[in-house]
Amino acid sequence: MLQEESDLSLTIAQIVQKLKGSNLYAQLERQAWASLQRPEIKLESLKEDIKEFFKTSGWEKKLQNAVYSELSVFPLPSHPAAPPEHLKELVYMRKAQGSWEKRILKSLNSMCTELSIPLARKRPVGEQKELLNKWNEMGTDEPDLSLFRPVYAPKDFLEVLINLRNPNYENGDSLSFRTHLGLIQVPLKVKDIPELKEFFVELGLTTGQLGIDDSTQVPPELFENEHVRIGQKVLVEQDSAAAQQYIRQGSPTALRAELWALILNISSQPEDILYYEQLKTNVIQHDLLVDSLIYKDVKLTASNDDYYFVFEDYLYQVLLCFSRDTSVLAHFAYNSASPPKSYIRGKLGMEEYAVFYPPNGVIPFHGFSMYVAPLCFLYHEPSRLYQMFREMYVRFFFRLHSISSHPSGIVSLCLLFETLLQTYLPQLFYHLREIGAQPLRISFKWMVRAFSGYLATDQLLLLWDRILGYNSLEILPVLAAAVFAFRAVNLMEVTSLAAAEAVLADLSTLKVMPLLQIFLFATVT
Amino acid sequence: MSRVLVPCHVKGTVALQVGDVRTSQGRPGVLVIDVTFPSVAPFELQEITFKNYYTAFLSIRVRQYTSMHTPVKWVTCLRDYCLMPDPHSEEGAQEYVSLFKHQSPSMTFPKWLSHPVPCEQPAPHLEGLPNPSSVSSEVQQMWALTEMVRASHTSTKIGRFDVDGCYDLNLLSYT
Repeated sequence: MLQEESDLSLTIAQIVQKLKGSNLYAQLERQAWASLQRPEIKLESLKEDIKEFFKTSGWEKKLQNAVYSELSVFPLPSHPAAPPEHLKELVYMRKAQGSWEKRILKSLNSMCTELSIPLARKRPVGEQKELLNKWNEMGTDEPDLSLFRPVYAPKDFLEVLINLRNPNYENGDSLSFRTHLGLIQVPLKVKDIPELKEFFVELGLTTGQLGIDDSTQVPPELFENEHVRIGQKVLVEQDSAAAQQYIRQGSPTALRAELWALILNISSQPEDILYYEQLKTNVIQHDLLVDSLIYKDVKLTASNDDYYFVFEDYLYQVLLCFSRDTSVLAHFAYNSASPPKSYIRGKLGMEEYAVFYPPNGVIPFHGFSMYVAPLCFLYHEPSRLYQMFREMYVRFFFRLHSISSHPSGIVSLCLLFETLLQTYLPQLFYHLREIGAQPLRISFKWMVRAFSGYLATDQLLLLWDRILGYNSLEILPVLAAAVFAFRAVNLMEVTSLAAAEAVLADLSTLKVMPLLQIFLFATVT
Repeated sequence: MSRVLVPCHVKGTVALQVGDVRTSQGRPGVLVIDVTFPSVAPFELQEITFKNYYTAFLSIRVRQYTSMHTPVKWVTCLRDYCLMPDPHSEEGAQEYVSLFKHQSPSMTFPKWLSHPVPCEQPAPHLEGLPNPSSVSSEVQQMWALTEMVRASHTSTKIGRFDVDGCYDLNLLSYT
């Protein structure tokens, strides 16, 4: 058996196994049975006729979208001899992730003991009724959160990444062209500008873009009208792959919600709404310590943001349910992180009483709610908003706060940013380094939040269009470098980290697409 | 097709270095691992599997004994097989690797002595997509493998996070 064929067979077998447990499989089975009634289905050619029926009725397209969705997420086929652990990571990264997780657990445990608050408790019936009544206005609640502190902030995580070392890598004492002058010291492969130009070819100067070619000075006949027409066609066809390709040039505002749902293969079935309601019931019944962290985070970040404070209630409705969603645990199969574990009180060490905490295995950090906030502009029905956020998280956002060597993992993104800056703006890089303002210290918070809360919302949504379109987070460091390039003149004048921060404090007036285009395609290198 | 692990003895690595190991400044870029097969019965080698740790290129040479009168010869089965596309970065550094018989066409038992492998052996290139029915028959074989791989890993939705309605927790555990 040739290696490539066996790899393909392995991938197919694994995807089939995954889809077998899905709603789609049950629906296809039902449809196949129902189709036997149809006159065009003949017994002699049963298999072919049913296949034809699936094609014409659009069910094949749904299956295609589901397979495409799995392929977008699927890790590369693992070697049969490799244990599942290996799917995760390089040994030293796994170790670093493990120790980081331990620190988080210790922090959470000490918060627990200091405040004498249990990790989880069942709510008394009276409290349950009260919460149910004010479910749609949890923002009006003003619980005393002064004693709670976020478990960690992005800058704590940055320190861990700075200290990452590959034990097998010797940089040497003397400076060479290979020495990393930035903060990240691990030798991951990152794309250079020629490779980025190829990867992001649709962002080129000769291709129309929303965010550039739809500005008021440009007549809509030149690009915008046609682009909208094509977008509508893509939605009618219901083809995920086509939608993903289309959205690389940006999504028209009116079509964005549906396009994103199509790309992520989210359709709101009755089962999904029921599932969300079940999660809501879980929130009502059990109170988690993590809930207070969520409240605190929302109050500190989204509620203070001019664009997002109106969505405060939605954020609670999404994040509290998110913490109770055990289906999120599935993403740990391709995440280098592990979900925290605990035991039912009094049953320490007994495996039958081992549980994950929180149920979804994700401990929120300072700024976490900003992953949800922009989606509130697109989706107003809570269960749909919830589904979209969950899918965005298990596809993209989890990579921004776990240590891995994945090209879209935060470590690679940081290294890509530093490499781009060092290579194409060496004077600026050197100057900032000299004054003690390592550029990554400023851009890290932008990338960890995928720029949410830093850009104007319409610009942010144009950026996230491209994240979906390219199925990669690499656009984040490219934008970060482009921002530095744009403000290079001012940055060359500053003489301290604080002053550099001030120059880059306000990104709300930036237009992302022109910045990206200029940096990638129009800068003389 | 039943495949059996062949007992072998893997010796420690030896650095290939010119000059005195102790006084020499540089670290050697080439290391040699000797593998011997204690069992005397002849076998047909199908596959070699190992986990890489920062080796960039691999060459495999085989020494065979046939009869008492022919002198033993070293034959190269694989030369500079690339394990890490960019040796200065992490790609392929800790991968599991399998080398198959077909990658070294002369790696069939009797032919080793007479046909050493030429230097460049490009991997077999698939034109377009493979035949669906042949792929689906392979899937049957792969099924057993994936079942093994996923044995400890549940892919079903769990749903409930509590144990018999109870989710009263003390502290998080550090395992």
